[in-house]
Amino acid sequence: MSDSTIQHHEESRDVTFRVHRFNPQVDSKPYFDDYTIKLEKGITVLRALGYIKEHVDSTLTFRAFCQAGICGSCAMRINNMSKLACTTQVWDELDKAREPGVIKIEPLRNLPHIKDLVVEMDPVVGKMKKYSNWVDSRMPEEEWGKKEFLVSEEEFQAYDKATDCILCASCVSECTILRAHKEYVSPVVLLRSFRMNADSRDGIHDQRLAGLVQDHGVWDCTHCYRCQETCVKNIPIMDAIHGIREDAIERRGTKDTSGARHAEAFMDDIEKKGRLVEATLPIRTNGIGWTLKNLLPMAFKMILKRRTPPPPPLVKASKGIQSLRKELKEMASHVAKDHEKKSGE
Amino acid sequence: MKPFDIVIVGGGGSGLYAAMEAMKTNPNLNIAVLSKVYPNRSHTSAAQGGANAALANKAKDDTVEMHIFDTIKGSDYLADQDAVEVLCSEAPKIIRELDNMGTPWSRMDDKTIAQRPFGGAGRPRCCYCADKTGHTILQTLYEQCLRKGVFFFNEYFALDLSLDGSRSRGLIAMNMKTGKVEAFPAKTVIFATGGYAKMYWNRSSNAAGNTGDGQAIAYRAGIPLKDMEFVQFHPTGLRKSGLLVTEGARGEGGYLVNAEGERFMKRYAPEKMELGPRDLVSRSLETEILEGRGFDSPAGKYLHLDLRHLGADIIKSRLPQIREMCMYFEGVDPIEEPVPVRPTAHYSMGGIDTDNFGRTIMEGVYAAGECGCVSVHGANRLGGNSLLDILVFGRITGRAAAEEAGKFNPSAIPASEVTDKEQELRSFMQPRGHYERYGTLREDLGHTLGANVGIFREASKIKQGIADIESLQDRFQHVRVFDTGDIYNTNLLQVLELKNMLDLSETVAEGALSREESRGSHTRTDFPTRDDEKWHKHTIYTYEGGRPKLAYKPVTMGRYELQERTY
Ligand SMILES: Cc1cc2nc3c(=O)[nH]c(=O)nc-3n(C[C@H](O)[C@H](O)[C@H](O)COP(=O)(O)OP(=O)(O)OC[C@H]3O[C@@H](n4cnc5c(N)ncnc54)[C@H](O)[C@@H]3O)c2cc1C
Ligand code: SF4
Ligand code: SF4
Ligand code: FES
Repeated sequence: MSDSTIQHHEESRDVTFRVHRFNPQVDSKPYFDDYTIKLEKGITVLRALGYIKEHVDSTLTFRAFCQAGICGSCAMRINNMSKLACTTQVWDELDKAREPGVIKIEPLRNLPHIKDLVVEMDPVVGKMKKYSNWVDSRMPEEEWGKKEFLVSEEEFQAYDKATDCILCASCVSECTILRAHKEYVSPVVLLRSFRMNADSRDGIHDQRLAGLVQDHGVWDCTHCYRCQETCVKNIPIMDAIHGIREDAIERRGTKDTSGARHAEAFMDDIEKKGRLVEATLPIRTNGIGWTLKNLLPMAFKMILKRRTPPPPPLVKASKGIQSLRKELKEMASHVAKDHEKKSGE
Repeated sequence: MKPFDIVIVGGGGSGLYAAMEAMKTNPNLNIAVLSKVYPNRSHTSAAQGGANAALANKAKDDTVEMHIFDTIKGSDYLADQDAVEVLCSEAPKIIRELDNMGTPWSRMDDKTIAQRPFGGAGRPRCCYCADKTGHTILQTLYEQCLRKGVFFFNEYFALDLSLDGSRSRGLIAMNMKTGKVEAFPAKTVIFATGGYAKMYWNRSSNAAGNTGDGQAIAYRAGIPLKDMEFVQFHPTGLRKSGLLVTEGARGEGGYLVNAEGERFMKRYAPEKMELGPRDLVSRSLETEILEGRGFDSPAGKYLHLDLRHLGADIIKSRLPQIREMCMYFEGVDPIEEPVPVRPTAHYSMGGIDTDNFGRTIMEGVYAAGECGCVSVHGANRLGGNSLLDILVFGRITGRAAAEEAGKFNPSAIPASEVTDKEQELRSFMQPRGHYERYGTLREDLGHTLGANVGIFREASKIKQGIADIESLQDRFQHVRVFDTGDIYNTNLLQVLELKNMLDLSETVAEGALSREESRGSHTRTDFPTRDDEKWHKHTIYTYEGGRPKLAYKPVTMGRYELQERTY
């Protein structure tokens, strides 16, 4: 065993923070600085960085505000995963370190870089605006304040979890589609759009939905589950994405994308016949990738909702089917896990 | 450059509400909101409990009048009663308004907004959204401001008011992303920069940026502050960070234990034990520490909050958030170990002196929220009344500024003011032979305030505190900023915040020394009782020759006569 597993039971030890540095005013390219400091058990990564800034190198730059996991300022990549520095214990990260005793710290990805660990947040705000991430009240402003809307606790529960979002952009940093396409709506904006659309006080549901099904919208997501696995508030982001898609098909039919046209037939197929029939698979028109990513998880979810056990997918072997099987299995297990978690609560 | 009609400094609940209301009052106005953090990150997001309003959804017999009485009594009779009347009678309307614009709330069976009991309130009137009320209110206000197209200058740091004699002509601020100092000529300026309780540093539940910037800027520009000596302490802050372990932990049956293994609350509140009122429990913890029955650690003395006897099941099911807090921030699992705690500075009752419309004595300059002092909280704020305060007075102030902006015709801000400021900031970066690190000064300030101007105060200790602050101010002259770059220079900004805290800490200490009585959060061991004859008045501070000059102002009465405050 490496010595980190022995040492991390100690009350204090030396820890090295390998920090991504870049100041566009003076540096031509980014580099890493190593800071080794003696720390006590129980310290968070943010406090450790704070110590470095105050006592070792005051030029080290990062954002932090509440220090309590509620403001979303301090998201950064710690040991290759986006998370909040203020809620992350150094000792836990030592367990995950690839090199014993060394914790790697980098800025969030998929957002323009400003300096060291600071990235630009404006693109996220811009997308919130583009997709109307606000309640556009059914009540005219002149009437506000006179009486409450009546809202059931069940309705509140439907978006309760989504309103935990602190706009930290960790999910944005890990999203696979955003790496390639910066215009992609992004997981956090899908989540917020879902929350707005679930609110009975809102009056622009259909308009918002119409925006979400355009290019770079909800149909572009690959269902890789990275965002949900990353979310610092454990929000089931995928439920929101599935929710928007189901809603889109329900309200807008299948006219939006060539893929959506096949969706209904496809899901019927799995559900009723218990298997995939190649003839109705939209693979031919859209390719395996698209089918997998856009339809299967949704189909599984709908089946689970109706309490029918997921059927073994029987697909005649053809080119690419091997990988389809593999990915299929993986997704089925994700969906089943989500389902279990929920019914267990 | 044409002046803005309104420049709002601060994107917390009060600043955003002011912006919305100003736009509603007059959509043609040119309004800017400046904030040193993205608005949704403001400290309003930390409020968990909720906001008070006599909606009478839960207790059908609740009334605005009862809310008024509870608030005045809670303030230890130092609140201005006409202001409290405004606060409480506007409350139901503002909560409904928040609902109408889309704020998520927990709900009652009859689908109305849920309400819970809160300390010092005669009826359950605290409206809440699970344990994230401040967060959801702030998110909603930010979303609504985006909807209305409010113009935000995010990550701009306010530096100074630009003055033409004793009149304001706008604001000087720094764009944090470029390091450029910029002028914001403005007919009106609203300060909504939040509280100053972070001056207690590691003994504070506040965000790192709650450094009282707005108060300090206004104060240095000659605008008086009010009641600065009143700082509320919460009994259970985590030892290392000062972060809050909410009352829920004691509500579920947690024990407070000293180093001798004794449940010491039996000596202070034999009946209520751990569930006594906030200020009493805070004082008890502090007494244990002072009398040597605390635990020792490099991060300071502390006591134990022991939850282990509740068992893993109860802790996991009823206190999951609190368990998470302890694990995240202290590295302690309360199922296995007791939690190290000590009292923590939580809320600043004092602030910029305003009238009931948020106006200061300087024409065109306003203040609202925790940064202002109307005063509705007097010597002690009730839980759930601060969110209410920032909303109600944020709105009133936004409207007042919108209506009055047309009256002012400020002169242009001379370009030299910007270049002078840039020079001044650069000077912090000059190499100096002997230099100080801001981190050390900041910790020392928190330490001396906690020890000498904290929960228990007495003349000799406060004098020590004042001497310490003075020597810190001397040391500040040698502070060096090592980051010489322009882009996102947090090293420089934290030094400027420290300067603000140093200036304000003097007012807190001087006010505490002069007020020879005990009232609300202000406890003088050498003057243990409330002295209405001499001290039923507000303290007012004006900046003169670099120091606070104290004066006093009567409390507005009219509804309730002075009574002893017992619960
Ligand atoms: C842990 C905790 C729990 C609480 N719980 C409750 C509760 O349950 N109920 C309740 O009623 N109250 C509660 N409070 C108190 C309440 O949350 C605050 O008093 C209130 O949110 C303050 O709002 P604000 O708008 O005045 O300021 P803030 O929300 O603090 O916003 C200040 C704004 O000013 C900006 N700013 C500051 N300085 C500058 C500068 N130099 N330049 C530019 N911008 C600047 C900041 O960026 C920020 O946007 C709690 C407080 C804490 C600490
Ligand atoms: S599931 Fe969709 S939104 Fe989430 S990370 Fe993957 S591609 Fe992005
Ligand atoms: S969804 Fe989760 S990870 Fe993404 S911004 Fe919100 S809180 Fe952060
Ligand atoms: S500092 Fe606010 S979330 Fe970490």
